[in-house]
Amino acid sequence: MKILFPILAIAALVPAGMVLADDDDCRAPVGRWQPREAVMALAETRGWTVTEFEIDDGCYEIEASDREGKRFEAKLDPATLEIVEMEGRDRKGRAPGPAPAGTVAPPANGLFGDGAPPAAVTK
Amino acid sequence: MKSLLATLALTTALTLPGLAMARPVTLTTTLNNYGGDGAYLALYVTNASGAYVGSLWLAGGKSKYYEHLSDWYAATGGDLAQINGITGASVGAGRTLEITLDLADALFDAGYTLHIDAAVEDMRDSPNEIAVPLTAAGAGSPVPGRRYIASFTYE
Repeated sequence: MKILFPILAIAALVPAGMVLADDDDCRAPVGRWQPREAVMALAETRGWTVTEFEIDDGCYEIEASDREGKRFEAKLDPATLEIVEMEGRDRKGRAPGPAPAGTVAPPANGLFGDGAPPAAVTK
Repeated sequence: MKSLLATLALTTALTLPGLAMARPVTLTTTLNNYGGDGAYLALYVTNASGAYVGSLWLAGGKSKYYEHLSDWYAATGGDLAQINGITGASVGAGRTLEITLDLADALFDAGYTLHIDAAVEDMRDSPNEIAVPLTAAGAGSPVPGRRYIASFTYE
């Protein structure tokens, strides 16, 4: 009982946010990670062309296109190379992000007086 | 001929006010040197009762991060149709994003508010960092942000 009380006291001090993690995070220790080349080999067997490779939330994350040229993003567990999350390959094969400015008309939300797309520059 | 003239007069009379019902506006957002990755920014408008009306711009291309623009996301459910055709790159720390557009005249001095939500990877989300009423008198006056935005001006 004397031991249990300090443990409970410490647990109470830890904010809930520190205990909870996103479902799509990977938790494999770095020592068990497979090399980047293993991801590339897996991609090749599936007919994917990888355009970007990065590490995010402890997972490998790739941007790629499949055999039909449809773009998608995939998160893989770095130890098992299991797909944790796949985004952007819906039944219509749409890209994962919204249409950038200039590619389609802005939404008809009544804000754009002339219906023309806004122009943006970063300085 | 008379009817043609009458039609012309009528269509002209109806068209001209339409043309005058928008004004060119520049929205200038300058970021602080917060020392992190590029910021995602959602610029959107609410009406006098606080209800979401629509989006003006979304800086940042990956839709999986949009939930961190939490007020915008709560209002839209992350619906990409709200921002198709009005998105661009995220904005680096210390940089200035300048957006020029034709803004509907009816939005000024009518209780509408322009909001900016901001988010940076691995840093705290900052919804509603800017909330500025759209008024003719307020144009040109810089409004300070709280976390990532140094100042915002519309003119």
